[in-house]
Amino acid sequence: MNQSDTSRAAITGSAGLRGLLLVCAAAALAACGTARRAEPVTGPLLTTDPLVQRGAIAYARHCHECHTGGEAALGPSLNDKPLPGFLIRLQVRRGFGAMPAFDEGHVSERELEEIVAYMRALRAQGRG
Amino acid sequence: MRGTLAPGHHRRPTCWLLPVVFSVLFLQGCYSFRPSAGGGQTDFDPPRTVNPADVALPAGFRIEAVATGLSFPTGVAFDEAGRPHVVEAGYSYGEVFLTPRLLRVEPDGSLTTIASGGDNGPWNGVASYGNTFYVAEGGVRDGGRILRIATDGAGSRASAEALVEGLPGYGDHHANGPVVARDGTIYFSVGTATNSAVVGPDNAEFGWLERRPDFHDVPCRDVYLAGRQYESDDPRGGGRVRTGAFQPYGEAGTAGQLVRGQVPCNGALFRMDADGRDLELVAWGFRNPFGLAFSPAGRLYVTDNGYDNRGSRPVFGAPDVLWQVTEGAWYGWPDYVAGQPVEDERFAPPDGEAPQFVLAAHPDGPRRPEARFGVHSSANGFDFSFNPDFGYVNEAFVALFGDQAPGTGKVMAPVGFKLVRVDLLSGVVRDFAVNRGEQNGPASRIGGGGFERPVAARFDHGGAALYVVDFGVLLETGGETVPQPETGVLWRITRSPAEEADVP
Repeated sequence: MNQSDTSRAAITGSAGLRGLLLVCAAAALAACGTARRAEPVTGPLLTTDPLVQRGAIAYARHCHECHTGGEAALGPSLNDKPLPGFLIRLQVRRGFGAMPAFDEGHVSERELEEIVAYMRALRAQGRG
Repeated sequence: MRGTLAPGHHRRPTCWLLPVVFSVLFLQGCYSFRPSAGGGQTDFDPPRTVNPADVALPAGFRIEAVATGLSFPTGVAFDEAGRPHVVEAGYSYGEVFLTPRLLRVEPDGSLTTIASGGDNGPWNGVASYGNTFYVAEGGVRDGGRILRIATDGAGSRASAEALVEGLPGYGDHHANGPVVARDGTIYFSVGTATNSAVVGPDNAEFGWLERRPDFHDVPCRDVYLAGRQYESDDPRGGGRVRTGAFQPYGEAGTAGQLVRGQVPCNGALFRMDADGRDLELVAWGFRNPFGLAFSPAGRLYVTDNGYDNRGSRPVFGAPDVLWQVTEGAWYGWPDYVAGQPVEDERFAPPDGEAPQFVLAAHPDGPRRPEARFGVHSSANGFDFSFNPDFGYVNEAFVALFGDQAPGTGKVMAPVGFKLVRVDLLSGVVRDFAVNRGEQNGPASRIGGGGFERPVAARFDHGGAALYVVDFGVLLETGGETVPQPETGVLWRITRSPAEEADVP
């Protein structure tokens, strides 16, 4: 997701910040159900969106090994975290804790956009 | 933080701090503070429950257990009549020695012993050519061997002989495979002695350092050392020792030192003819190339278990991979991870620094894997679908044995313990057969009667049935590896005519 003017306003504005806090608090408390998205369990991710399709490939190349299928593995689960795209981008670019930063030499801007699209589609998959 | 909510340019640093903090909390998940949650970190009360209904498959497929009560099974192959034969390893991590066996699985699930071995396991995999079986004997005591077990077809008589002996399989990893090419040539592999080329106290925990105190990795070609030395406690009698790459424990090595290559060697693929002649190196620089298979187009692929976060030279976050094998190539061990230099900061343990190169120069350019599996998932035996009636033609079906955390490195949830399929065109790995439930993991941890540790997968002669070898329960508890005999299962997956499936 592009870091749009809208998202900037959401961060800098007081109402937006409250919203962000709510989102984060909700994520912390609920973690939005199970992260399980195994194809035999939830069915295949059916999409005709080429961005999502390319995202599956980029995810397999860069993310899957630590967050297998968006579930917890070496790293934490992602499918149950309703994070906005810009936070995902921030995490990837800057890295935190055990997760290293991935600069554009490792994950291009285009791939990052695809990965975010794929993660959103995968997350929605669990909601049926 | 009073005033944080007030708008204004000077508040921006504070506003950006919040997403950072929340990102740490929600995405990073406090890795450093949470205990390991590996699949083997659980309890188990035998007997094992087996219930195919607890394994989820894509619509249109069904699974059944065709043999149970196996002890440490590692491979399956078929005789000319199509009857499945499994090998039991006879040795498991945890230093448990049993008798390795080749067993025929009868239609009623009973087992007939075709051949048995001694205490030089593990028998890691089996392949067949007609009514002849080829077994990789790992070689923890006497060195690895490739065995040929010829049967009379009726299965009442069998003769066994070693086609090759003295393979360097005394260490962490052993002789593996094998697979037979269409022309009858036999391909097999030997894993590395250590995690990342440096013998250390972790190898004493495996059990082999006491048996073989002088054993170490052997390169296949001449290499020159960078001179890195790694200090560790000496588990043999106290004190501290310095050890270098490709050196016996306690020998440091020097910068520029030449280590002569030889064959057989560690971390490599080999081939020989059906009588064991003309042994030659195919490719090297692997870590533990456990599974070998030819694609329908006749190309050789291998699964490779990635580095662990353990020992004197720990490597963090290294995935298991699937390689396409190129003749003569070097695949990066011990200085590259899936084509990336091990000196990259991403491979630094959370409490340490990234490893440094131990080789002064590298034999070949880095290579890119065909697919990447979960870190510590232990991608092992696999096969390619070739029958349209089963579907997913040309995709690789890979058994993921599952993590051995925390000994191999901490994980935040069980990794592996399932069967996945790999689309070689895209590198995308998708779950194919998994245990039901809200969390992934072995049945002994999450409940039910599904998979424990799938270790091999192979299609029958016609490609209509996929057999999955399930090693059984292996616990990682109390600092010990504790395998459970008689908990192994041979599963069979077929397309169910009763259900409609949307399978390519």
